[in-house]
Amino acid sequence: MKKREIPIIAFKCKKCGRIHYPFHDRCLTCLSRDFEKIHPQGNAKLLTFSAIFNLPWGFDQRFLIIGIAEFENKVKVMGQIKADSIDELQTGMTVLPTWEPVRVKDGENIYGVKFEPIK
Amino acid sequence: MPVDMELEMFLRPKQYPMPPYPPKMITLANGKKMVVRQAKREDVPAILKSVHPCMFIKRDYYDIVSARLYGELLAFYYHRSKSQFVLMGQVDGFLVGVVNSRMENEKVGMSYHTLAIDRGLRIGSHLFAAKMEYHMEYLNQESVLIVAESPIGFRRWMVEYPLEATTIPHELGGGDSYQLTRDIYFKAKPRLVAGVRPVPQDLLDEAEAEIKFADDDTIRERIAGLKGR
Amino acid sequence: MRDVAIIGAGMIPFGRRDEDTLLEMLSYASLKALDDAGMGDKKVDAVYVGNMGAGILQHQSSIASSLVDRLSLLPAAADVVENGPASGGSALKNGFLAVASGYYDYVLVVGGEKMREVTGWRATDFVATMTHPEVEYPYGITLPGMAGMFTQLYMEKWGVTREHLLAVTLKNQEMGALNPYAHVEMTLSRDGIFDSPDAVVNNPYAASPLHLYDLCPVSDGAAAVILCPLDVAKKRGKACVQIVGFGQATDTHTLQEREDPTDLKAVTLASQQALEMAKLKPSDISVAELHDAFTILEIAESEHVGFFKKGEGGKAAAAGKTRLGGQIPINVSGGLKARGHPVGGTGVAQVVDIVFQLRHELPENRQVKDAKTGLTINFGGFGNNVTCFVLKRIEP
Repeated sequence: MKKREIPIIAFKCKKCGRIHYPFHDRCLTCLSRDFEKIHPQGNAKLLTFSAIFNLPWGFDQRFLIIGIAEFENKVKVMGQIKADSIDELQTGMTVLPTWEPVRVKDGENIYGVKFEPIK
Repeated sequence: MPVDMELEMFLRPKQYPMPPYPPKMITLANGKKMVVRQAKREDVPAILKSVHPCMFIKRDYYDIVSARLYGELLAFYYHRSKSQFVLMGQVDGFLVGVVNSRMENEKVGMSYHTLAIDRGLRIGSHLFAAKMEYHMEYLNQESVLIVAESPIGFRRWMVEYPLEATTIPHELGGGDSYQLTRDIYFKAKPRLVAGVRPVPQDLLDEAEAEIKFADDDTIRERIAGLKGR
Repeated sequence: MRDVAIIGAGMIPFGRRDEDTLLEMLSYASLKALDDAGMGDKKVDAVYVGNMGAGILQHQSSIASSLVDRLSLLPAAADVVENGPASGGSALKNGFLAVASGYYDYVLVVGGEKMREVTGWRATDFVATMTHPEVEYPYGITLPGMAGMFTQLYMEKWGVTREHLLAVTLKNQEMGALNPYAHVEMTLSRDGIFDSPDAVVNNPYAASPLHLYDLCPVSDGAAAVILCPLDVAKKRGKACVQIVGFGQATDTHTLQEREDPTDLKAVTLASQQALEMAKLKPSDISVAELHDAFTILEIAESEHVGFFKKGEGGKAAAAGKTRLGGQIPINVSGGLKARGHPVGGTGVAQVVDIVFQLRHELPENRQVKDAKTGLTINFGGFGNNVTCFVLKRIEP
């Protein structure tokens, strides 16, 4: 799989249009059970972020920057941010999403979204 | 015990010249001022009074760290270790922490132990940083070899600096050494090395006048009591 | 529905209780509450235990059954109630409803957690298990990280500053130093964590923009209360405390799905429900215990409960309006920030602290003068499951 393909499935309510990620059995707004599967599209806008120290078991780095970003088609996703410092970041900036290993579990890579600031 | 100086010449290792560590003052989170200064050989008996009760505290590996430190301090006192140095932290004259280390050779330092006698104020972290500051900035060494006996030490040194894993054995005989290089040290310095110089004269005078020690119960309570952090 | 009173309250000192098992801590707190209520050999009908993590941290299940056995409360009904860090609040809700319904007369509610049994890495991971298992947890998100992302937005939208957060830290540490039950009995200085050049090292980022001393400690601890019908309590001829209001509300599991992530809807709804039930306004409350796992939460909750307008909570904290003697004293106990946060125990501990306040039995330097009403917010998940209690002093 190419790093640029984001194999996340989000769920757009066919009745009211609300976008859900993760999946809900009923729409958070209108309770409809009818969803259209959609993929995140394009680049993303960084909504918020935090450089997190004292990480949980399973991470041996000093810190990790995690944020939430909104794709061009309004899907909102949490992901790790590829930056050396929060000084490089600001809310509202455009970030480039990629699909990469985000942690190792039982010796296997777990894949997820990473966002890279576009300079 | 009489000392046979002729025999001592064979028993005492040759020492590398070591410029003194200039004392500094660190403002702790509670606003108290900690004086960090180099211990002289004659200070050892006073320091041991605070290390002794820690040898019987199991929490967070205080027993092994203190027992080993106690032996190393005696080796320093009896001239049985090569190029060892000891730094200590004092608040209001009271000893709140001790660190020791030595020069393995002119380029490589061998970090021994870090003992915080008061907790929750990053005293161990500050003193460990002072020890690295001495190795790098005053002894001008290339690297320091480090191991940790406690998970807290591992988190503080290996993760926070972060130190580099090596396969070099460490003198303490545990796991392979982690290494602080000059590059890692100077990158980490703004985040981890605190303190100002010179120390105000009244504080330095107070620290040098007497190495005060809390009673055993107080020390035990601070380290291993309910409020231990 | 019957009116419900709290006739006994007890807490054990929070901290690092290496010598005690979880069951022992729950038991000690329960005995203190039973003795405080003067229960003697009176029968307890039911026991609700608030606990989040015995299964993960202690590899132990069915702790309510163990507890009634240990306390010789057999054959009392016994249940564990798990609602993350609001487990205590939820356990109390169950006890309250059980007495209010008329089904049980005497109920013991105890909340506790033993978190220091594991290393910091494991404790952080344990708390992070309340995040979404597929779209949050795998990334390494922690609860401080969620709070960091929330703070980033709250500062931008509502003008909260680091000075405001600092005011909460200093106040709660100062009050915790006076509280014998508090985990961190240590005052901090502005110089040491903010102004001096060494503050950068003393108080580094924990989860930006939050710093180390914006976070509560990881604690062991337990607290308990005894509930009974108010008319029974009144016959005792002593001042007691009535639960006059309760509310609970939920919000989306993930932060990303909230329309406005700075809007803590569950706090607003839970407190509205509780105040409405109590027929009180926020301005009628004498003292509050808010869930300050992170300093930002004390400020944000003080606004969402309605003590201050949005954007005013931080300024109010910095102006001393939330101190003892201020407009609305908040976290006079030291809050989670200093009393500590044994997750399953917090919701009950907050209520115990309010009971102490409403019975007017605290020393002068901690007692809110003539306190008549109190409010608690117990914040589960990252605001996705919140309980609120309103308590009132009942004169003898």
